[in-house]
Amino acid sequence: MSLILMLAISIAVAVGVLLVLSRDVFRLIVGLAVLGSATNLIVFAAARPGGLIPAVIEAGATQLPAAAANPLPQALVLTAIVIGFALLCFALVLGAYLARQGGQQNVDRLTAAEPAATDPVKPPVLEQ
Amino acid sequence: MSHASHPESGGSTYLWLAAVPFSLFLLLTWGLSRHALPWQLDIPWIPSLGLSLAFRVDGFSAQMLALITGIGTWVFVYASGYLAHEPRRGRLFVVLILFMLAMVGAVTADNLILLFLFWELTSITSFLLVGFNHEPAEARAASRQALLVTMGGGLAMLGGLVLLGQMAGTWTLSGIVAAGPTLANDPRLPYALVLVLLGAFTKSAQFPFHFWLPNAMSAPTPVSAYLHSATMVKLGIYLMARLDPAFNDLLFWEVMLIGSGTVTAVWAAVLALRERDLKRILARSTVSALGTMTLLIGLPSAGAGLAVVAFMFAHALYKAPLFMVAGNIDHATGTRNIDQLLGLRRAMPWTAAAAVLAGLSMAGLPLSFGFVAKDIIAVAKAESELFTLVSYATVLVNAVAIAVAGVAAVRVFWGPLELPRNQVHEVSWRMLLPPLAIVFLGMEFEFFPALADPLLLAAARSIAPGLGEVSLSAAYDLEALLSATGITALIGLLFFLAWDRMHEALHTLNRFDRYGPAALYDRLLHGLARIAAWHTRHLQHGRVSGYLQLTLAALLSMGMFGWLHTDSRLELTWDWPDHAWAWAVACLLLVAGAAAAATLRTRIAVLMASGLVGYGSAVLFLFAGAPDLALTQFAVETVLVVVAASVLPHYGTAPLQQEPLRASSGVLAAAAGIGFSAAGAFEQSAGEWRTRRVVRSDQPGRGPWPQCG
Repeated sequence: MSLILMLAISIAVAVGVLLVLSRDVFRLIVGLAVLGSATNLIVFAAARPGGLIPAVIEAGATQLPAAAANPLPQALVLTAIVIGFALLCFALVLGAYLARQGGQQNVDRLTAAEPAATDPVKPPVLEQ
Repeated sequence: MSHASHPESGGSTYLWLAAVPFSLFLLLTWGLSRHALPWQLDIPWIPSLGLSLAFRVDGFSAQMLALITGIGTWVFVYASGYLAHEPRRGRLFVVLILFMLAMVGAVTADNLILLFLFWELTSITSFLLVGFNHEPAEARAASRQALLVTMGGGLAMLGGLVLLGQMAGTWTLSGIVAAGPTLANDPRLPYALVLVLLGAFTKSAQFPFHFWLPNAMSAPTPVSAYLHSATMVKLGIYLMARLDPAFNDLLFWEVMLIGSGTVTAVWAAVLALRERDLKRILARSTVSALGTMTLLIGLPSAGAGLAVVAFMFAHALYKAPLFMVAGNIDHATGTRNIDQLLGLRRAMPWTAAAAVLAGLSMAGLPLSFGFVAKDIIAVAKAESELFTLVSYATVLVNAVAIAVAGVAAVRVFWGPLELPRNQVHEVSWRMLLPPLAIVFLGMEFEFFPALADPLLLAAARSIAPGLGEVSLSAAYDLEALLSATGITALIGLLFFLAWDRMHEALHTLNRFDRYGPAALYDRLLHGLARIAAWHTRHLQHGRVSGYLQLTLAALLSMGMFGWLHTDSRLELTWDWPDHAWAWAVACLLLVAGAAAAATLRTRIAVLMASGLVGYGSAVLFLFAGAPDLALTQFAVETVLVVVAASVLPHYGTAPLQQEPLRASSGVLAAAAGIGFSAAGAFEQSAGEWRTRRVVRSDQPGRGPWPQCG
């Protein structure tokens, strides 16, 4: 089963990377979402999912049931989901703003945040 | 303390600060008269690393201390006069005091790391002092050059010292000297010595690092007199002389020192003839003298040890006054160009007197301590078998020294006055007393060598333990006088008379300048800036897709590197877990969502498709014991639609363009798909699930995560 899961995740990752590398700002942001979900799954799958029982210690018990799921990746993934969601919302708004400001949706031409080529921060190529 | 003759200066001239070095000097003489050398002090610092604040003062250190505090006293007096009109003089004095303390630390430190710390501190203070007049770009470049060269060397030296410390198993300088002969067969020794010598050579401006010292002359003259002739540049000599008893017998050591010393002495002497600036002439001759000292350290005879300390002493006693003379001339006339300086004798009689007396010593003529030193050097060289070439070289070097002394002491003062008489004036007593005092000190040692005898002999014995009973006195034997001094003096006189003509002739050397080490330094600095600019332009080009490609490629290569260096196996199974149907649905959702997101052309549809991927993972979470994750994921995907609905109109209504599949994107996507999920699979199969095992086998209630409920 893990093979099929891995295949599915592979496809999701590949599509996510393709979308992220797209020149369209909207596709890029969607790519972030896909890549984020896929990455969460990788972390989750890496910890051998299998048990159906949630990692909750019953009242009165002192330890987890033997068949319980591993809580560590759950904690990691839970954080990642929330942060990923915030990032996505922010990226959607930022992308819309930049696209409107730049008058186009090609990410490589949205250079409002970049210093100009003549900027003193970028060191000029010295002539000997 | 403000002086009546400087009404505009305002505030203190800090003459009283000369009390700092002077009290240290008194402390030193008091200590020398009361307590036998060596003095030792050892305060634990980081005992686990073998580091301690270990100080040790033996004869050689005491001599260095006497120079640092004694010359220092007069330099402080001189500086208070020289900088009387400089509003920022307080800053200079602070750094000068810091420098002096760093020097005191450097020549007394016995712990290797401590030595390095003080050594680098002198480099930093030198940087601040050279760049004191920071407005001219040349001064900034010169101070940066001095810093980069000496600190680069210092870094190499640190490596060498650590190697030496590991080889000898001790972190004290004295311990390494004691262990010296046993290290001879260690294969690491040459590397350690080369690294240490790099530090010493850069500090003491030995070829090929000789170029920084003349440029450092943009420092105020008191600084040049103190740091760049009398004390700091002798630190390299100090270290080499310290280590000499340990490595004296190594052919490698001997060849390095004699070779580099000779080349430095000769080349700097030739370069001195090319200069027209009085201070730069003196700086070149200082480099030449430092080369002679290196050469002397390399000589195997014990007498060479005495020659080193005597010459070092003599050099400090004549070169510091000569620098002060140059400073006085600069101060009085506003120029240091020897073409414009003639016949200053009448206008500046006291300066002229100091110059002549210091010049006598530099030329090694009778009536000066320089004569004694030259005599001892001649004896040391006669004791050692020298290559003929080296012997001739020393004659040339001495002749140029005589010519330089002639230029600095005679040429600028005699002859008709070139400058308008009212433009030239004698300087204040604070700038006259120090050079005269130091020169008279030198003469006193000539007439009463017994005064300097104990100090110099103790110094010589600590770097040349084999030195027998000798006493310092110049042999006024006419034959020796003629052979040792006569011929060189004659050649020196010729050089002096032909100075201008030789200067012209040496112009042809200019064309080789761009192959020299100074040009190489410039090219290196330039190259560094070019590389930085090139790299910034190529990495920070402002194209988002480029950034992402680079980041992904780097991540993948790192993963690949990790994969090549791991031995865990990939174990993928076809086993179906419980609720296999749910997993299958999850996988289906993942793949379908991804495929749709890649192909659909309407923004809202693409967004929905990406939501499918999220739902897929949520389903998986639900059936893998993580209902909380599933809940969160469902909620997030749903809220996202609401957020997106409010933002989407800003993207316009035109459908997304069909994009051609770029080869680079395709390759990266495929590699990422395989690589990232393989990484997950590897993690999965890399050993047991440890946390669960711990819980199972451990005592109840001792889980690896906190108990709750």
